[in-house]
Amino acid sequence: MGEQQELVTITIDGREVSVPPGTLLWEAARQLDIEIPIYCYHPKMDPLGACRMCFVEVKGMPKPMTACTTTVTPNMVVSTDSPMVKKSRRGTLEFLLINHPLDCPICDKGGECDLQDFTLRHGPGGTRFDLYKRHYVKPIAVSDRVLLDRERCIACQRCVRFCQDVAMENGLVMMERGFKTEVGVEEDAPFDSIFSGNVVEMCPVGALTAKSYRFVTRPWELKRTASVCGQCSVGCNVLVDVRVNKVLRQYSRTNDSIDEGFLCDRGRWNTELVNSPQRLRTPLIRRNGALEPATWEEALQLVAQRLRAVASTHGASAIGGIGSTHTTNEEAYLFQKLLRAGLGTNNVDHFHGRFPAMERNGLPWVWTDSIAGLEKASHIVLLGTDTYNRQPIVDLRIRRAIRKGTRVYVVTPEPSRLDRLAAGTIRYNEGQTGAVSRALLSAVLSEPLTRGDFATKRAASVAALRDSLAHTNTEALAAFAGADATALRALAREIAQADGAVLLYDEMATRESTGETLAQDVLQLALLTDNFGRPGAGTGPLMEDNNSLGARDMGLLPDQLPGYRMLADGAALAQAWGMTLPDTAGMDYDAMLAGGVRALYVMGADPARHATPEQLAQLEALDLLVVQELFLTETAKRATVVLPAVAYMEKDGTFTNTERAVQVVRRAMQELPGARADWQILIGVANALGLGWRYGSPLEVLAEIGRLVPLYAGISRRGLGAEGVRWPFSAGESDATGKPTLVGSPHLTWTMVEHGVTGNGDGAEPALPRAHGEQG
Amino acid sequence: MSETPGTTPANNSLPLGPTPRFLTRNFGVPGIDRIEVYRQHGGYESLAKALTQFEPDALVEEVKKSGLRGRGGAGFATGMKWGFLPKDNPKPRYLCVNADESEPGTFKDRVMIMEVCPHLLVEGTIISSFATKVHHAFIYVRGELPLAERQMARAVREAYDAGLLGKNILGSGFDLDITVHRGAGAYICGEESALLESLEGKRGYPRLKPPFPAVVGLYSSPTVINNVETIATVPAVVEHGADVYAAYGTEKSKGTRLYCLSGHVERPGNYELPLGVPLRTLIEDYGGGVRGGRQVKAVVPGGSSTPFLKPSQLDTPLDYESVAAAGSMLGSAGVIVLDDQTCIVGAVLRMTEFYRDESCGKCTPCREGTFWLVQLLERLEAGHGKESDIPLLADICDNIFGRSFCPLGDAATMSIVSSIKLFYNEYLHHVTAHGCLVGPRARGVAVGAGANV
Amino acid sequence: MIGEEVQVRLREIVSRYPSARSAMLPCLHLVQEEQGYITPEGIIAVAEAIGAKPDEVESVVTFYSMYTEEPKGRCVIKVCTSIACYLRGCDDVLAHLEQRLGIRKGETSSDGRFTLEAAECLAACGMAPAMQVNGRFFENVTTESADTLVDYLVSAGDTAALTSAWQPVSDGRGMATVSRLDAANPAVEAVEAADTADTTAQQNGAHER
Ligand SMILES: Cc1cc2nc3c(=O)[nH]c(=O)nc-3n(C[C@H](O)[C@H](O)[C@H](O)COP(=O)(O)O)c2cc1C
Ligand code: SF4
Ligand code: FES
Repeated sequence: MGEQQELVTITIDGREVSVPPGTLLWEAARQLDIEIPIYCYHPKMDPLGACRMCFVEVKGMPKPMTACTTTVTPNMVVSTDSPMVKKSRRGTLEFLLINHPLDCPICDKGGECDLQDFTLRHGPGGTRFDLYKRHYVKPIAVSDRVLLDRERCIACQRCVRFCQDVAMENGLVMMERGFKTEVGVEEDAPFDSIFSGNVVEMCPVGALTAKSYRFVTRPWELKRTASVCGQCSVGCNVLVDVRVNKVLRQYSRTNDSIDEGFLCDRGRWNTELVNSPQRLRTPLIRRNGALEPATWEEALQLVAQRLRAVASTHGASAIGGIGSTHTTNEEAYLFQKLLRAGLGTNNVDHFHGRFPAMERNGLPWVWTDSIAGLEKASHIVLLGTDTYNRQPIVDLRIRRAIRKGTRVYVVTPEPSRLDRLAAGTIRYNEGQTGAVSRALLSAVLSEPLTRGDFATKRAASVAALRDSLAHTNTEALAAFAGADATALRALAREIAQADGAVLLYDEMATRESTGETLAQDVLQLALLTDNFGRPGAGTGPLMEDNNSLGARDMGLLPDQLPGYRMLADGAALAQAWGMTLPDTAGMDYDAMLAGGVRALYVMGADPARHATPEQLAQLEALDLLVVQELFLTETAKRATVVLPAVAYMEKDGTFTNTERAVQVVRRAMQELPGARADWQILIGVANALGLGWRYGSPLEVLAEIGRLVPLYAGISRRGLGAEGVRWPFSAGESDATGKPTLVGSPHLTWTMVEHGVTGNGDGAEPALPRAHGEQG
Repeated sequence: MSETPGTTPANNSLPLGPTPRFLTRNFGVPGIDRIEVYRQHGGYESLAKALTQFEPDALVEEVKKSGLRGRGGAGFATGMKWGFLPKDNPKPRYLCVNADESEPGTFKDRVMIMEVCPHLLVEGTIISSFATKVHHAFIYVRGELPLAERQMARAVREAYDAGLLGKNILGSGFDLDITVHRGAGAYICGEESALLESLEGKRGYPRLKPPFPAVVGLYSSPTVINNVETIATVPAVVEHGADVYAAYGTEKSKGTRLYCLSGHVERPGNYELPLGVPLRTLIEDYGGGVRGGRQVKAVVPGGSSTPFLKPSQLDTPLDYESVAAAGSMLGSAGVIVLDDQTCIVGAVLRMTEFYRDESCGKCTPCREGTFWLVQLLERLEAGHGKESDIPLLADICDNIFGRSFCPLGDAATMSIVSSIKLFYNEYLHHVTAHGCLVGPRARGVAVGAGANV
Repeated sequence: MIGEEVQVRLREIVSRYPSARSAMLPCLHLVQEEQGYITPEGIIAVAEAIGAKPDEVESVVTFYSMYTEEPKGRCVIKVCTSIACYLRGCDDVLAHLEQRLGIRKGETSSDGRFTLEAAECLAACGMAPAMQVNGRFFENVTTESADTLVDYLVSAGDTAALTSAWQPVSDGRGMATVSRLDAANPAVEAVEAADTADTTAQQNGAHER
């Protein structure tokens, strides 16, 4: 087969391995499970060849070769344990140790230190160095979070190359030279990058350590669980390290399609939350105006009783639920099921509200491409985003794209950390992302710059759209938004000529006053300039929270059922649930807070924090306010009943990230005594209501989702594997055990976007995308 | 000037006599650093000849034919290096003249060329750029040489004013800009890839090779890097023709070199002599022999990065092959003579300190190894060493040699390894008698016979 | 302070290179000459001129031995201590100067006039031992001639240091040895003298500001 012919076969320690040309010897050996020790090499950075640890012997070469810099050539014969290799490695280790302090007993890295480990496996038994070691002041703070012990540093440059080459941020640099070489920070360039924690993880020795982890534990005392970060919508893969029910740190768990092995500081050090002494440890019930501890039984019975009371006096439509963008898919699903099937209302929403959807099962606002796809784009246009602060690891990927030559345009009201690296920036007034995007669309239509099949086939609709926008031309819109029209026109031209442009907007921008048609306009912009449906081209939002997308997918929406099915298509679901479902759209978030309901059930949200004084008054006037939370939030303080919940590290489930990847979240520690997982609480409430729910675990909920939610059809925890799968799914080839694997879609086609994954085109020329309720 | 002793009788029929002065012919001319004077003495005529009588490729062939080899250290064939430039790379090409001269024992590029006759280098640079189709050349002058830098900068300015640089040079249609760049104190920047990093405004860390600069060099473009002397020789090759140039020297080492003679000789200095001149001739006939009538103890033939030769090797011809056969290297032709009153441990310590201080620190063996070596040598020199320190020194060198990222680490080991081999007993004497064997700090009695070969 | 005039010169330097970052070393030389040493302000000025981050500039500054982030004396005396000069007695010269100036190598005299340094091989091995005063070479130095030089520097004051009027250090072999093949080159002498004059003027100017 063609592909096999391309492989290069080499022999390492007498065993053959075939790898693609250009593969490094280190990687080839790894495929044979042969460990070649490395310090300076890092698979996500270019080979450096500095530490001289990875020596191997290549037949025909007089000197030992570094496996991290040598690529395979056909018929190469390599030895990783010849006398030459052994002596060279011993030599390097001896050199590294002459200036290394012997403070292993109190070093936080002890037990997981590459210098310890490789010395054990490859090093000399003793040292012949009996002279004077180099000394430095013991640890100095290089940032608020990170300490540097220069005596322990082996000058591998991993950290500085991460700061300079990968993060492209101020941070650590090499200082001085020769034996005086040290890592340092320039005073005028503080190491305040949101990516800073990665250097702690990458440092092969104990030179860079986290303040939060200093003298805290030994690594072998940690229980390590593979999970997913619960901070933002990127969904980086993490390892949660716990000792005696306390989260001590999080490390990355490399997932190349999402995080490439990096975490942002917000996620990495998000341990205060779960460990906080402020956490709620018992249900609270309002008695005589004050919240007082109660048993779970009391609390659940009270919730059920009061919900029933409201329903019978005011009807089911007087009950509403505000769900969470942080809880798992399973919990979001159960939440809306409780409200829809259990209480008979469609008054379900979440803080970020609904996107303008089409009047079909379409997904006009979904991110059609992927995080990894960003690297393939020739252009990335960021509209109203702040990826550095809001989706940091997407920002890091954009930086990688920039290194590969991608032109990035930052179109935002405020300056951003990406500006310095961008091909261009366009500024406008706060709240005008919609107007700016429409100005771009208008420029594309007026010049005209449309291209590609999509536009050609819909010439009539395009012409109509152009006419409809004629009165709001680019210049007028730009002036309205306070943006530079010439710059916008130039950008429109670049987009229209791009090999592949990815146009991303921030989810929150759709909530601005001009945001109503933002998603639709950007989608049209992408479609009409042929930037769609292939890797490195596409459009969509960058979501806010770890499960913002999952919350929507699971139907925390007043007018759509799980999987974005219209209420009118609810028959199958009703049948499966054995209930009749309300068929009129429910109240949305704002309507519920405007006094539309008498009883409000809030799970993992804090409406009071964002509320206007009127909304606060309405919250306080409710007959019943139930809050499931970790802390006594502003909303919880006003609740009738507070049910203590747990953080993601304490429960199982799945999250769906901003690029549609559904990933498995694992319980890394026991729940805080007294608190329960949201899914358990929901089952408790349902059963107190007499609904007879029998789910034994989130797994069973996921199975039901896999049966009933078309977007998630066929999902199973096993199928999601270690790194998750991106919806929509299909069953792919079988794995080694014969079980079919789940295959997700890296980028969506127009048919999928327009009709959803279940709907099918009716054959007629599809119209242009248009917003919910808009007449087209 | 006397005839070169040691040249064969056949050489007497050489076209320019036995000791031609390809480089230094006009060096005594007052004001030769000025363009008018330089031109009055035939300056820039080679350039005119090159531009009118040669196609670039033919010029590369001519340099190949001349047998000119790099004068920076490695002795790589210059024409062949130019030939490695990829033909189909659309990126601009660059030429970098390596004027970072800092190898201990080497002082030819600064004094002989840049300070005295800068236009020779400018002319060589223009011709070499034309041959390699380069339109922007850089002269990377070592930071500690302000006069050399100013002389070069002024010569370049004069050349621009005379229409010898810039657009359409001498009406040939060939364009060239030269930027004189000043380093800032780092021996490693003489290493070609570190030079490129430095020229790109970075720390002078050597780069991974391959790819070689000819393919991926300055700004990732194809780049030629040559030593000052190499480039300054090109006008002579053009003027006299490859055959005349190649008539000098030996079979594989053609032409002349600027030998830098220093140390314990009566008349240290620069001498332009054909390759293959015997070491003894250089020291005795030109250098006037060892100072104060003493004996030679050891000679470093090619800058401090090359192993010592012993007195019995004084008849070694100074060409690349013969010096290599004698166990050393011709390197930068920096010949350092040590007399019999020199403490070898002290001298080696001083040489090793240089490598410790100039190691860039990128790779472990060189950074840590030189640090260790210096401490060991200090201890030995002070008379506090142990006998086991001597084999330890040798083994540390073994762990550096061939293991370091670039040749600087290798270079650091040369004087140590060769001196232990040649003067083991002198090291031992430091251990047993706690002092030097020779020189002002001599102490105790020599152990064993035949200590010093 | 880095004034507009320096900014203009920085931009001029940048314009000589295909890539702005390449102007790093020359720009640093300029701000160092202007201010006597590399100041935080100088780092930022260079970073802005070449489009680099201040931490990248700092990293480069610390790599190269000619940049200093501490003020130095108005006369920086560098004695080459590498092998060729070592063989010809540079250690004596250095020790003598230490005594004479009352400072150790690497130090600056309390009146801020002299800084004494050991240098790596200055490419003057044929004229060993060699030293540099503010970049100007003095060759075949002896303890006596070093003394004469210091006498001169002390008596002549800062502004007059090392003008063309100053000749006595060369023992007549300096330039002659350079071109052993030929006589001394008067042109070079003249250039060197003129050259040194403006380096000195610049340095002194810098310190007056
Ligand atoms: C540590 C080190 C220092 C070097 N220093 C110099 C130098 O100062 N000048 C020089 O011309 N070559 C120096 N070289 C050699 C250069 O790397 C390169 O080979 C040379 O400039 C090529 O020019 P050539 O072919 O004309 O000799 C050095 C090499 C090493 C490894
Ligand atoms: S601090 Fe750690 S990662 Fe950074 S250079 Fe030192 S050993 Fe390497
Ligand atoms: S891992 Fe190969 S040299 Fe560092």
